Amino acid sequence: MVTQKITIEPVTRIEGHAKVTINMTAEGKVDHAYFHVNEFRGFEKFCEGRMVFEMPSITPRICGICPVSHHLASAKTGDIVMGSPPPRTATLLRDLMHMGQIIQSHGMHFFELAGPDLILGFDADPAIRNVVGLIQADAGLALKAVALRKYGQEIIAKVGGRKIHPTFAVPGGVNRALSSQTRDEILKNIDEMIAITQAGLAIFKDWAAKNKEDIDKFAVFKTGYLGLVTPENGLELYQGDIRLVGQDGKELEKFDSNNYLDYIAEHVEDWSYLKFPYYKKMGYPGGVYRVGPLGRLNAVDHIDTPLAQEEFETYRAINDGQPIENTLHYHYARLIETLFAIERVKVLLDDPDILGRDILNTRQNFKGEGVGVIEAPRGTLLHHYKVKENGQVEKVNLIVSTGHNNWAMSEAVDSVAKTYITGPEVHEGLLNRVEAAIRAHDPCLSCSTHAVGQMPMIIDVLDQDGNLIKEIKRD
Amino acid sequence: MAKPTVASDWLGGCAGCHMSILDIDERIVQVVELVDLRATPITDLKEPDKAGVTVGILEGGITNTYNEEVAKRMRDRCQILVALGDCAVFGGIPAMRNFFTIEDALKRAYVDTPSTDDSGKIPSNPELAKMTIVRPVHEIVKVDVFVPGCPPDADIIFYVLAELAQGRIPKLENNNLMWN
Amino acid sequence: MAKITIDGKTIEVENGTTVLNAARQLEIDIPTLCDHPELTPYGGCRLCLVEVEGARTLQPSCTLPATDGMVVKTDTEKIHEARKFVLSMIFSERNHFCPYCQVSGGDCELQNAAYDEDMTHWPIQPNWQPFPVDASHPFIILEHNRCILCRRCVRACGELVGNFTLGFEERGADSTLVADLGLPLGESSCIGCGTCVQVCPTGSLIDRWSAYQGKEVEVDSTKTICMGCSIGCGIDVLTRDNRLIRIEGDWEAEINGGLLCDIGRFHPMVEERERLLTPMIKADGKLKAATWEDALKAAADMVSANKGGLTGVVSTRASMEALGAFKALCEANGAQTMLTTEDCQAVSAIYQQAGSDSSPSEGGISDLMDADCYLTFGEDITKDHQVLSFFAKRRIPEGAQLIQISAIPSGLDNFATVSLMVADDQLDKFMVDLTALVEEKSADVEKTASKYHLDISELQSVVDALQAQQKTAFVFGSRKDFSDSAAVVTAAKGLAQSANATLVTTKGNINSLGAAALGYAGAGEVKGTLAVMLLADEELSQCIEQKFEKADMRIVFSSYVSSLTAGADVIFPVMNWLEQDGHFINFDGHILTQKAALEAPGQVLSNQEAIEKLVSALDVKNQMDWEKEVKAFASPVKIA
Repeated sequence: MVTQKITIEPVTRIEGHAKVTINMTAEGKVDHAYFHVNEFRGFEKFCEGRMVFEMPSITPRICGICPVSHHLASAKTGDIVMGSPPPRTATLLRDLMHMGQIIQSHGMHFFELAGPDLILGFDADPAIRNVVGLIQADAGLALKAVALRKYGQEIIAKVGGRKIHPTFAVPGGVNRALSSQTRDEILKNIDEMIAITQAGLAIFKDWAAKNKEDIDKFAVFKTGYLGLVTPENGLELYQGDIRLVGQDGKELEKFDSNNYLDYIAEHVEDWSYLKFPYYKKMGYPGGVYRVGPLGRLNAVDHIDTPLAQEEFETYRAINDGQPIENTLHYHYARLIETLFAIERVKVLLDDPDILGRDILNTRQNFKGEGVGVIEAPRGTLLHHYKVKENGQVEKVNLIVSTGHNNWAMSEAVDSVAKTYITGPEVHEGLLNRVEAAIRAHDPCLSCSTHAVGQMPMIIDVLDQDGNLIKEIKRD
Repeated sequence: MAKPTVASDWLGGCAGCHMSILDIDERIVQVVELVDLRATPITDLKEPDKAGVTVGILEGGITNTYNEEVAKRMRDRCQILVALGDCAVFGGIPAMRNFFTIEDALKRAYVDTPSTDDSGKIPSNPELAKMTIVRPVHEIVKVDVFVPGCPPDADIIFYVLAELAQGRIPKLENNNLMWN
Repeated sequence: MAKITIDGKTIEVENGTTVLNAARQLEIDIPTLCDHPELTPYGGCRLCLVEVEGARTLQPSCTLPATDGMVVKTDTEKIHEARKFVLSMIFSERNHFCPYCQVSGGDCELQNAAYDEDMTHWPIQPNWQPFPVDASHPFIILEHNRCILCRRCVRACGELVGNFTLGFEERGADSTLVADLGLPLGESSCIGCGTCVQVCPTGSLIDRWSAYQGKEVEVDSTKTICMGCSIGCGIDVLTRDNRLIRIEGDWEAEINGGLLCDIGRFHPMVEERERLLTPMIKADGKLKAATWEDALKAAADMVSANKGGLTGVVSTRASMEALGAFKALCEANGAQTMLTTEDCQAVSAIYQQAGSDSSPSEGGISDLMDADCYLTFGEDITKDHQVLSFFAKRRIPEGAQLIQISAIPSGLDNFATVSLMVADDQLDKFMVDLTALVEEKSADVEKTASKYHLDISELQSVVDALQAQQKTAFVFGSRKDFSDSAAVVTAAKGLAQSANATLVTTKGNINSLGAAALGYAGAGEVKGTLAVMLLADEELSQCIEQKFEKADMRIVFSSYVSSLTAGADVIFPVMNWLEQDGHFINFDGHILTQKAALEAPGQVLSNQEAIEKLVSALDVKNQMDWEKEVKAFASPVKIA
């Protein structure tokens, strides 16, 4: 019997619009909790009729935090559609820009979005539990955080002309080359950025040591895990095959993005606007999987850069080599990926081809359809276009990073609500923890709701004996 | 004299304008010295103070009834309302949806896309905000300052914030005026 | 003359000068959208409104003639309000999405006009009625949502190109740009010249290749000449990071005044051929990469071993400098003949017959600008040397007559006042008979008409036109041979004389006349055992390739792989037309300068450098002075 409804609106320190409603029983037990997203724009429809070479400029407007991911995924789709594989220099430059994106987005998330919870505490006063509070509590750390994000943004601007919504990649390649001067500017700050990331890792590990109990009970559950990999199953964020591993960490599938429809389907619930992607062979919801930092680091066997690999080994040892299931370890994985991205920037800049001027393949061998894939900060991003011979887009299908995590986020909210809200007294910090469950995934709700409205969830309500009383769905 | 207070929110946009605000980088320290940041999507206050704020900033255009409510609430609770970015000022890229019926856009997403399985159908829940024609903010409420750009450059945003913080209405012209 | 005062400054201008142009002379900037310096004023956008003392309302300065004593103000509050209003109206009419448009951020005249008026938003909203994107054309995309109905494209297509494909249908808010009577652009009479794209102020008309490649402030621009044919149109080549972005017509170029055809503007954007990057030597039946040193030695050895038995073949896309050096090479090594890739008897006949004329008999571009009667024959100038057809076609609305003699349907069929269908093998005889009619030596139109199966009244109208003593221009060209090419040329000259017309011959490629001036024979057979071929970057037809494959041994200078390089013994990689400097003599005797816009890749050298290397490897001195040779040449047209 529902006696109290708590609403968290909007969920803050995430990208996009979300609202959580928690229905409570008289005994103070959580009856059901819902995760709603209240936005819909309709990119999959209104891109119809546009030219395929405009898509890398339209689709970044799906998201202002990860526009580069959409920009590059879209250009990669265009490469396939037009049959114009880009020259090596172009691929290196796109990869470089993408690393800037990862650094900027992950850096911002850890320090400025999630950071206030970890550094100031879940129960800190909401008026200061934000980036401003960080500045006031530890200006030096705040400035480091700003510097890390700025570094990533400046890579994007230096390579592509602009920090947010650059026009750089086109089907067949990119439109500007990198000068040696610019390369040297980027190289200059690598060590400083590594140090800042390691400071972040230290903060997290310190917090983790003091909050082990929380980490082990805060939204810990089983799913599959998905991400791009190198041919040797190393971490790969720009291009590669998609690898899916099961709950036990063993590989289930490895496939080219152009065949995604053979492996991934999306489930629609009558009461939800955000679809639920899942692994077809295991059906829904058995086939759900997580993406993003936690998902990726469970789906790969190693990382090719030394500092990140060292950290990765420590991380994967947490569960004796088994997949890491704790939602709060998203933050740890995120920092490891940031380290990787910075190291990868150096690898790319040291490649002699990075200064090449052969940056555009103008030859075309029109295929008419293609699926471009990339690992956005939040997870695997797929752009699928069907294009007419005259170059006009006929159909668009987007499976956007955060969408893959839909089931997991619902599960996390439910789990955290039930774990922490155990009595009739519900103080603000407890509600913040429910939000933190969402925040850990670093959802990009604008992205995932390119075509979506609300995102409610299902909660199973159990009595004291664990019997299912009812299953509640939010309309 | 108390510092000017600033609240912001995002409507039917992509968050790029707020990211551009963060692109002022270290200047954020200067800004928080000049103003008091209240409810924003990246702080934990959930709505603009009922007592009102000096400056309200809205990113994103009006795409549904919920956006209309938020815009009206911000207008009620602030003295100077700033429309930030092309979506808020012009409607922006989401306005491309206006070329199609809302019905068609929903059908494409929930029924027709090739990855949607047999469960595909258009959700019809009455709790959901109703979609509307995409419009700029000033179609719903009076806007005092327009800052176009997609997103506006961080230098322009800093200029706007600095002017407002010092009690002046910013004038956008020359290098501060860019629609793309 | 009229004395006009604008914003306090006074100037005296010619009668008929518009207020806008008077202001420009005073360096006062009045914003415009539908106006363009190359097009007749339209007065449609109303952005150029000014205050005129004594006038009740604001006046459009682009169409208002300055009158004596007029006092004008261009910078008042009222005018700024009016401009903002005009712009508001324009923005509300269609759907302008600045965030992702290719020209947004500096290249859009509409956006720039809004910035100049400090517009931060649209006071009036569009109603979001969708307009289509026409992507049916292989080169040009027409985005109706961005069209501001300025009609610059319509005027350009009509006034400048004379094609009249573009127009407007419907009225009021339904006014729409259309091709022909409402066809997709790709299915219409559009010839793909792209002049509309160049004049479009917004991102409504764009080309498929340069989108998102760089704004005008981000690209480099080089003035050079098009090599697509013998006209030598002046072009601006836009490049970025050593990559070709776009080719535009140079409005200030004397020859073409900014006009270009699809061959000049768009064809260079698509290069499918494989590029040669290093010298190669054939060893054991296979071509292997080699150093310049080794390749030069191998080639020099071959030339020395075949002295007296060599044929020199050049592409008429090579510059005077390169051709001069090549000539030195040929002469020093006893070349039996020096051919060109043009291989056309008709063109050769033009040069041969010019040798016996006392002075140059042909005219040039300036004669085509304002003729009242045009007669074309020999080739379809809507396919080759197209810009000449623009000059003729655009005079038709002014009353000019266009007479076409053609054996087969041509692109002029829809434009010609009269088309006479005469078979190629009868062309020379027909022109002789026509000459007789014009000179009234044989007054039997009927008999002549019957002889060539022509309509009598049509033939009569042609005779009348040629007898009318109006300014008449003949345009003759050919890439193929006639059964008696020399006779065709003789007959053409005779007819031109009888009609008191200026004969203009198109000749072939960009340096056809230049090659002739240096003594290259043009058509002919490969003689001897060794062919040294300067193919430059020319794309040869199959029959030309087959002809030159007959040489036993080949030394080839080429930019691209072809069947002729595949069977060569020594290959030298050379620059293409965008990568080197040089001089050329176009069809009407202009000496034009080509300037490099791109850097060449690998070990590629310019035509001139490559030839000169071989010349010195053979211990020959290149003392060829091409300018001196040109002066001594009996040219069919005066060489400036």
